Amino acid sequence: MEELLETTKKQKLANWYNKNYKLLLIIPIILLILSLGNLGLSYYRTGDFIEKDITLTGGTSITIITEDQKININELSDFLYGKIENPIIRELSDFRSGKQKAVVVESILEPKELKPVLEDFLNYKLTNENSSIESTGSSLGQSFYKQLRLAIIISFILMAIVVFFLFRSFVPSFAVVISAFADIVMTLAVINFLGMKISAAGITAILMLIGYSVDSDIMLTTRLLKRHGDTNKNLSSAFKTGITMVLTSIIALTVALIITQSFSNVLRQIFTILLIGLGFDILNTWITNVSILKWYLEAKRR
Amino acid sequence: MSWKIWLLIFCILGSLLAILPLDFTKGVEIISIEKNSTAYEQGLRQGMIITNIDGQTISNFNDYKQSVSKFPTEEKTKITILTKSGEFILFTDQAPEISVKDIPKTRIKTGLDLSGGARALVKAKDKDLTSSELNDLIAVTRERLNVYGLRDVQIKPVTDLSGNNFMLIEIAGSTPEELENLIGQQGKFEAKIGNETVFVGGEKDITYVARTGDQSGIYSCNQVQSGYVCNFRFSISLSERAAKNHADITCQLGINSTTPQYLEKTLDLYLDDQLVSFLYISRDLKCSETTQIQISGSGTGTTRQEAYNNANQEMKQLQTVLISGSLPFKLQIEKLDTISPLLGKEFTNTILIAGIAAILAVGLFVFIIYRKIKLSLAVLLTSLSEVLIILGISALFSRSLDLPAIAGIIAAIGTGVDSQIIILDESRMTNVSLRERIKRALTIILGTYVTTLFALLPLMWAGAGLLKGFAITTIIGISAGVFITRPAFAEIVKKIMGE
Repeated sequence: MEELLETTKKQKLANWYNKNYKLLLIIPIILLILSLGNLGLSYYRTGDFIEKDITLTGGTSITIITEDQKININELSDFLYGKIENPIIRELSDFRSGKQKAVVVESILEPKELKPVLEDFLNYKLTNENSSIESTGSSLGQSFYKQLRLAIIISFILMAIVVFFLFRSFVPSFAVVISAFADIVMTLAVINFLGMKISAAGITAILMLIGYSVDSDIMLTTRLLKRHGDTNKNLSSAFKTGITMVLTSIIALTVALIITQSFSNVLRQIFTILLIGLGFDILNTWITNVSILKWYLEAKRR
Repeated sequence: MSWKIWLLIFCILGSLLAILPLDFTKGVEIISIEKNSTAYEQGLRQGMIITNIDGQTISNFNDYKQSVSKFPTEEKTKITILTKSGEFILFTDQAPEISVKDIPKTRIKTGLDLSGGARALVKAKDKDLTSSELNDLIAVTRERLNVYGLRDVQIKPVTDLSGNNFMLIEIAGSTPEELENLIGQQGKFEAKIGNETVFVGGEKDITYVARTGDQSGIYSCNQVQSGYVCNFRFSISLSERAAKNHADITCQLGINSTTPQYLEKTLDLYLDDQLVSFLYISRDLKCSETTQIQISGSGTGTTRQEAYNNANQEMKQLQTVLISGSLPFKLQIEKLDTISPLLGKEFTNTILIAGIAAILAVGLFVFIIYRKIKLSLAVLLTSLSEVLIILGISALFSRSLDLPAIAGIIAAIGTGVDSQIIILDESRMTNVSLRERIKRALTIILGTYVTTLFALLPLMWAGAGLLKGFAITTIIGISAGVFITRPAFAEIVKKIMGE
């Protein structure tokens, strides 16, 4: 009896889905418009789609290693107020003990301008032993940014060519490509919304996302397009596989993020961006891509 | 067992072989040695492994430090250094002029952001460099860093997506505080007699430097007390202006009192205000407006071959300085990172823990979904072998792993697991034969492989290649996955499912 009830419930859901799947497209469309709006607004305000960190604008990052003497970052922040424009201060700590290992100060200044101010606060000299200094000239930073932006566009085009070659059919290929596009745009919008400043390494995560996000789309399209039988049945099995895939990736990345986040800004940003992207990938694969594909297959059958 | 599984086993063993050191001798490795030092003259060389000093076993850096702590001594004492390449006896009052480090436990090299060191990206100020100008710049920089005494240095040209040419300098280990001056200066070459400049590097004063033919080369090698000495010479042509300078200055000089065939002062060659070499001036050249000058020098070594090579190298360095000593352009350091080695170890450990924890978490999740411990173990094994193969290939090609590269490994494992899930699920479908199902899975995987591969390609060039590591490790990982580990995984799954 219970099983029967379960089956009818499932049946009801399936019926509802079959009737309304086109409507579901509204969700990603609204999100996509909002995201594009966010990026557009950001471009209008700052002249750029995203906020960049010093690896892309030029600037200096000094890591003070605090093996013995802990630095009170509130005091440091108060000290730097008024002396340095918009410094970013971060603590690096050991993942297990939580003990402070280093303090990172980032600023658009050059090393020779930032270093003396910090030395004033610390009352000791910063050497190549007790600190790390990373600096990027502003013209190089801007050139990096231009190139990485170009790299994203090239990557995207190459990906699209492969997808079209793989399926040799316009609508299904387009569905995959537009899903990947939506993934990236939505991820960028969330990054903006969170106020994250993207580094050069963060952009590699976006490139990786291009590769990642089409994985489940390709699996889905292959199963629905190249396989005979009931579309809905194929769809539900593809859904199970796809969700398992994305969940394993999310689990691996979450674990890696938790362990490394207190220690490395580079890794934290890469993993965070991938996680946001994979979250949107669920939406875009199983609503955007599926709806377009199902629509296409049903239209073709008629 | 299928050949696919054998191939995987073969690759895992190969990777282990590439990662682990070939022998497990304990000791310390010589990472640099001062030329013309007692230690060098006696035959100690970079790369040798010291195992014993004066009867004391040396198994790590602290042992070494302790064994040379008695220096400096008042009188010369005997010190017996046993290396894997033989025994060396030094009579000295100073600690051997070498620096050593612990033998690394694996042959995996970590990047500067993990092991410490410096990295600089240099270009010309307000000027685009041609590739030959860039090569000159690199030669000059290498010479300079050599003069300064830095050893573990890599310099290479890089071109980025916008077509900009840069010089990329990477220095492992501790960084001198003066690095910025060393690599950012224009580079000034001067030949002086006393305080007076005779000529400077570059075309204005030096019209020609012979580098081939009988005008340039090594003309004799002789055995001497401590080994061999090879002598080189090459001729240069001076401009009229420089020749006149030479005449004016030498006219004021007397004859050397101890060796009367030469003038009393030498022609001193300076690079960035540091003396790099000096030449005796033959007395025949006094007051002469000579445009042809023969520059000579020598190289030493314990074997004839070594002396020959050293002499050859010295000659080339000198020629390089004379040709391009003073660069016709000012330099600009676009990026300078100096990373302290202090945090590296903990950093590496954290990453290792993160990687292992991530793989275990995935294994656990696979077990929860599929309820088969064997499948879960197969996923773990496949992911770990992918990591091993990435590390193995990196070690084999001496590619150092920096942070982006490590992020790339984790990304590769992530896509790897995706593909394994596809194989697992396809193989569980029942409408067609298992073989057919696996084949279908591999088709999907190939598709996802090519898209990821293409998506990462631009990263090989963008941003002066500084993020190349990410692309390379990911590409190695997904390629190993598609061609080695996943076919084997599919075979294992077939076996488990067949049961």
